[in-house]
Amino acid sequence: MAAEEEGAGMDSLSGLRMDIGNLLVFDATDPGIEEASTSSDDYDEQCLRKGARAIQALAEKLFNMPSEADKYGRLVILPPPTTKLPREKPLPKPRPPTKWEQFAQSKGIKKRKRSKLDFDEDAGEWRRRYGYKRVADERDIPVIEAKSTDEPGEDPFSNMKKEKKARIEKQEKNRLQNLKHTLKVAGKSALPSTVQLSTMALPITGSAQVPKKLTKDELGEIAGHASTATASVGKFDRKLEGEKPAKHAGKHRKFLPVVGSSKEEKQQSDKILDKVLSRHNQEIVDVNKVSDLIFAFRGLANFSHGVLGFCVGC
Amino acid sequence: MRPLDEQETTVVFEKLHKFVGANLRQIVERKDAITSSRYCFRLHKQRVYYVSEDLVKKATNVSREKLVSLGTCIGKYTKSGKFHLTITCLDLLAAHSKHKIWLKPSAEMSFLYGNHVLKSGLGRITENTPQYEGVVIYSMSDVPLGFGLAAKSTHDCRKLDPNDIVALHQADVGEYLRLEDDV
Repeated sequence: MAAEEEGAGMDSLSGLRMDIGNLLVFDATDPGIEEASTSSDDYDEQCLRKGARAIQALAEKLFNMPSEADKYGRLVILPPPTTKLPREKPLPKPRPPTKWEQFAQSKGIKKRKRSKLDFDEDAGEWRRRYGYKRVADERDIPVIEAKSTDEPGEDPFSNMKKEKKARIEKQEKNRLQNLKHTLKVAGKSALPSTVQLSTMALPITGSAQVPKKLTKDELGEIAGHASTATASVGKFDRKLEGEKPAKHAGKHRKFLPVVGSSKEEKQQSDKILDKVLSRHNQEIVDVNKVSDLIFAFRGLANFSHGVLGFCVGC
Repeated sequence: MRPLDEQETTVVFEKLHKFVGANLRQIVERKDAITSSRYCFRLHKQRVYYVSEDLVKKATNVSREKLVSLGTCIGKYTKSGKFHLTITCLDLLAAHSKHKIWLKPSAEMSFLYGNHVLKSGLGRITENTPQYEGVVIYSMSDVPLGFGLAAKSTHDCRKLDPNDIVALHQADVGEYLRLEDDV
């Protein structure tokens, strides 16, 4: 009760309301509009006086609070704020359910808690559900019986591996689709924070620039560079299905043709000529540099008149 | 043989600008008197040639290994990528140079052997030559002998010892005999 009063105390004598947690003081008294009919300067002065009074009261309250010693002076722990400030950002949108969650909801499937260990009948011991020495590890299968549907040349072990890989790929695709859907419906903030940081535009630490999104051509160029960045310059590498050959095979610089295209060459040489001439042109005066020089000289003059005299001479 | 790229062109222009100043524009935009084709710069085997465009067209008929030279060789790129002007550029520079030095007859031979120009050999020098500006060096009879850098500005030249260096040697016509293979 007492703390509350202290935090949001009504200084009834002067009509001030204070919120020390936010270092706020409200003066709810009437500023006196009828008095504004006098000159506006007077009115300004009145408002200033009222403001000063309010701040004075707040400062008094603050300095009267219990404080502890700190490295730079006294430290006061402020009470929690009482003023309700409006939201800075809009309410976060709820994440839409993933494809599986929708399916589970429609079928009424509930999540059940599974134990980490399961009993493995074949091995006759408790094994993990997943990971090293798991219950149904494919490497533990010594023999696979041949079925009537099997082709003679097939290897059932490699088939199993392929199927597992396919399942993993499918799952990954589904996961990405779910993320895309979440992004579309609920925006960036609904994504898990790791995804937000890795994919969304974030400037690289130490620079102010946001990494630019690459165009298709740029990506193709970079892919070409990467594909030739091997010991044999990419000549003997196996290409993936559908991978096109690098765009500029072997070429890394582009020159103007030897004859013809005189317009481009003229343009290029004119541009460089202008640059070179303007760099050495004495007639172009940099006003800022000149004014800096003048101020520097003036500084010297203040220091010593003799020095100024010498500079004028040379 | 190929045209210079932007960086190479900048380097060449800067080097030429040291000697000719604003006359660089006349060099770059020169048109042949007879055929009225422009002059351009071409790079061939680490040497830069200043040649008219119609001549370049004809030179494309010669294979790369067999082509020795075309037009005027103005300079070459060293193994470390630096560009140096060669003596064969002298005609071009002499025609457009901003700052000149005239040598006394006694100092001519010394310069032609590749030595720097001393104050004792200095005949005349153009006014307002800043330090380290490119200068073309003439004999008293206005025959261009070579080019170099002004070691001291015109103003400072007056106060020098007779044995102080006035101009640093970069190229001279004696090189045609001394360094016959390089040129």
